[in-house]
Amino acid sequence: MVYTKKHPALLIMGIIFVAIAYLTESGGMSSMVDYLKAGKYAGEMVGMGYAFGAIAIIVGLWHLVGSHSEGNLDYYLSAVAGAIFILLLAMLVRWYLAPLVAVISKGLGPVMGAKYLHEVLGLNYVVLGILAGIITVNVFRIPVWAENGVRLSRLGLKTGVILLGTLYSLAELQSLGKLSAIMVGFFVLGSVGLVLFLGKRRNIPSSMGGVLSAGMGVCGVSATVAAAPVVQAKAVEIAYTIGTILIWGVGCMFLFPVVGHMLDLGYIQFGAWAGTGILNSAQVAGAALAYQPDGIETLKVAEIFNITRVLFLPLIVLWLAVWYVKQEGGDDTQKVNVGRVVFEKFPVFVLGFILMFAFSSTGVFAPAQHYKGKYFDNNVKESKLLSDEQVAMVSAEAGKLQRNDRKQAINTMLENRKIMSIDDETLIRGIYNAKIMSKDASKVLKGATKAVRHTAKKISAFRQWITLLFAFGLTGLGMQITFASMKQAGGQPLVIGGVVGTVKAVLSLIVIVLFVKETI
Amino acid sequence: MTDQQHDSQDIDLQEEAGAKFHRGSALSVFHSDRAEDFIALLAAMLIALGVYIMV
Repeated sequence: MVYTKKHPALLIMGIIFVAIAYLTESGGMSSMVDYLKAGKYAGEMVGMGYAFGAIAIIVGLWHLVGSHSEGNLDYYLSAVAGAIFILLLAMLVRWYLAPLVAVISKGLGPVMGAKYLHEVLGLNYVVLGILAGIITVNVFRIPVWAENGVRLSRLGLKTGVILLGTLYSLAELQSLGKLSAIMVGFFVLGSVGLVLFLGKRRNIPSSMGGVLSAGMGVCGVSATVAAAPVVQAKAVEIAYTIGTILIWGVGCMFLFPVVGHMLDLGYIQFGAWAGTGILNSAQVAGAALAYQPDGIETLKVAEIFNITRVLFLPLIVLWLAVWYVKQEGGDDTQKVNVGRVVFEKFPVFVLGFILMFAFSSTGVFAPAQHYKGKYFDNNVKESKLLSDEQVAMVSAEAGKLQRNDRKQAINTMLENRKIMSIDDETLIRGIYNAKIMSKDASKVLKGATKAVRHTAKKISAFRQWITLLFAFGLTGLGMQITFASMKQAGGQPLVIGGVVGTVKAVLSLIVIVLFVKETI
Repeated sequence: MTDQQHDSQDIDLQEEAGAKFHRGSALSVFHSDRAEDFIALLAAMLIALGVYIMV
């Protein structure tokens, strides 16, 4: 079969991208960009517009006038049309539609405290991109020439997750890793156990209970597909499970950010909740980016939880294999090859994340001790040193400090007019975060820490790539959420899934609100 | 396949042992999840190399 379609769509999309870049660069769209307050995206419009436009025009010409024959080249290059289709939709939403929604929402005035309607409902480029995808596939249709490319969206998400590894420092990973292992361990194993228990009580077949437990406990559709062979699930049981997961997952993706804003959860709290309570990996990323669209702190936390959960997949598949054989009265030692199950089901892209983190830790992208992409360097300009006035202001309030290490850090800073070490910088950050001194003195301390903290350019570039990959992946994800797949849900699996999903979401929220603080 | 026969609701349709079901949001152009993992790893390494050299 030849996959490449002789169709001008890719070429036209390339011309649109180039036109956007040219008009933005020449100022032809400046009044619209100003009205939408979308000036911060001008760099993207020009850079990405020319880059994607050039790729689309070159490949589009080849699609249109080239001769195509069956083979890998035809198969993979045919996907470019769909990939550009997703990118164009995602970027139109990010650059124009989301800013327009924000302008209209601000025009309506605040609706809940100081928050605007679009903030409360989380109507940002991520949510709107997913909605655009869902509307495209369900109301219109995915063009035939774009179908192969739509299947590339999960690749974008996986690549984004691997690149996220560059953004963590060892301290962040240690703190988040411990928390996620405890939370995810408890809730994953608990969900699997609860589904199996309820399944037995309600007399559903073992294969149905097994495949549903994997989907509800671990990471949604991927876990369902991975566990299906070991519990010998039938196609109809896989369909029931996927339908249940999608209804639940899509609902959570839109509902979680709204609840998070209403409870005013911090980024770490929300990331931990989304990573624990939402079933499908892609929807975890969607909810995290919906909650914090202009930063990726929430995404970083949510993905650590998601990765921890994915790491449970081989263990759960193994558990289900042994459980199923026992339920069906067989000899498990004969039928289950433990090593093989673990090897086959291990998600290799998680190793990529660890590998990228290891690279980053060596300091190739930013000094190894970077924290959230910023690193310590106190070779600062004369103009950035503390002035006599500032020294006097902080000296006058130094008596408020109780701890000796903090006193010492302040004294060293005052003597040198700048922060001298990374440890001192941490202590001084603690002083202004704890609001020990007056507002003005705290401002001086904040300025002093800012002077010695530098943003790593490479880390900023990685953030941009990650944002792009997730925007691409999530808009493409929307194009895969068909009503037909959700209509598959029904009967006992939907009831059991609903009960377990609700219990997990509510319990994990309670645990997070009570025990997880914004201290990592 | 003509456009009339084509239905984009079937984008995720999978057939197994003669029965069809919608696979939902876990589609891939690659023949296995592992192949997709390795391609993602390769893509990430290429981006990282690009950032390392050019930024």
